[in-house]
Amino acid sequence: MATFAEFINSYFLWRDPMIVGAVTGAVCGFLGVYVALRRIVFVSAALTQISSFGVGLAFYLEAYSLGLFASLFDPFTLSIVLTCIAALFFALKRDFSRVSTEGVIAFGFLLASGAVVIIGDRITKGAHDIANIIFGSAVVVDPIDVIIIPAVALAVFIIHLVFYKDFVFVSFDTDTARLFKYPVRLLNTGLLITIALVVAVATRALGALPVFALLALPALTSLVITENLKLVFIFSIVIGILSAILGYFFSFILSLPTGASMTVCAAIFFLIALGWRELRAG
Amino acid sequence: MPHLIRLENVTIGYEEKGLLQTTDLAIERGQFWGILGPNGSGKSTLLKTILGLISPVEGAIEYEDGAVFGYVPQNESFDQIYPVSVFELVSMGRYSRVPPGKRLTADDRAVIEDSIDKVGIAHLSERTFRSLSGGEKQRSLLARAIAGEPDILVLDEPTAAVDIKGEAQIMSLVKSIKQESGLSVLMVSHFLNTISAFSDHIILIDKDNGFFQAGEKSAILKSESLSAFFGLNLDMERIKEMQAIERLT
Repeated sequence: MATFAEFINSYFLWRDPMIVGAVTGAVCGFLGVYVALRRIVFVSAALTQISSFGVGLAFYLEAYSLGLFASLFDPFTLSIVLTCIAALFFALKRDFSRVSTEGVIAFGFLLASGAVVIIGDRITKGAHDIANIIFGSAVVVDPIDVIIIPAVALAVFIIHLVFYKDFVFVSFDTDTARLFKYPVRLLNTGLLITIALVVAVATRALGALPVFALLALPALTSLVITENLKLVFIFSIVIGILSAILGYFFSFILSLPTGASMTVCAAIFFLIALGWRELRAG
Repeated sequence: MPHLIRLENVTIGYEEKGLLQTTDLAIERGQFWGILGPNGSGKSTLLKTILGLISPVEGAIEYEDGAVFGYVPQNESFDQIYPVSVFELVSMGRYSRVPPGKRLTADDRAVIEDSIDKVGIAHLSERTFRSLSGGEKQRSLLARAIAGEPDILVLDEPTAAVDIKGEAQIMSLVKSIKQESGLSVLMVSHFLNTISAFSDHIILIDKDNGFFQAGEKSAILKSESLSAFFGLNLDMERIKEMQAIERLT
């Protein structure tokens, strides 16, 4: 077990992953409010797995000498493309014949999860990276992520600042939004695409598990502790940041897997919120 | 008189499956239309078709250019997970005049506050919508509908989840808003007394029996229309006599 002093002295080691984690926690916390309110938590789980599949597929194409594909689609690009296609599909396709929407989302999640494991089994080079992508490593991050993730997060925050009232409106009351001639389908697609973009860039850096956790748990926690919609967004951002930072800190001090540590931290916040709520009610 | 909404040869239904052929009708400014029918009769489908939320299977609906709708949907159509305050809810009614990407101005906020005042729920402004009683929710939804300064107020079963006193209060509010603003009203209900007390035009609808009649109240509330609609032998003159005797005793 490392000491706090050792942690501080290792600043050069954790600075970049901490920045990436905190920014991811903030933006996932924010977007997670929509995920929780629209009851599409399983969509975010499917998107994180599809993003992982994109990264795994790129490793697979490279490993099997499909040089042309490898040069065309690096893991980052392939992950973004596949995740955005999946988001478009979920946003635009409403009628799945006799299969419920939840069933189709579950299908996407399970197919992508199974495919990632199979790909990991088929290649040796990159197998460790695939395991990191699924469960999350974030011990070290690619230097480019320190630029890309904050840039994507900033773009997403600006889009959501401009269209805040519109995203809330179409999420809460689709019928009236359509009556008022709001571009409901475009706004829904835009919302899911911003989630997909964040998932794609964050999954490659942190892993599917912590990204899914940061999309789901901070928002659920905030919904438990406040009755004010704007505060739900703010608390969710703060809890997302704290979950990522504390998760990384405890993983360093206790030599825990980083992604899992972030996930457990976010889950503990949720449990504390539930307990606090019960105490207040009782 | 200009038509706000005109239905021509419209068949209502879902996914190209026709449920009921309607007769042509036109809703004009200042009129109060009531849509009456039993549960599952197609009232809400007709209302959503008129609003443009469902495409008609056949026929066409024309709207006056720039006509603004104020819509009071059924209470239970909102997911209770949203911690939306009454002010935020009423603000959404104003979005008919605030396009996507634009924010509410100070003038918009003043109209929203005025709408909240008008229905007597200023003291509930900061409360969450989900924490309100049935009557308070209906008042909030009414405030939301008028916040957009509509040309036509559309209400889907506005008194379904309130008691008799609440119903009287809601309908009294609707009446005073109509008189004050001169707007048109289109209201769905399955209560004959509510529809007959407030409407000047009535639509009787029952898709299961292929029944659809629309027109002025005096023409619709006749023994033969109501007998055919309810499947009973009703004598309106006798009913009126009995009501008069009840009032005297």
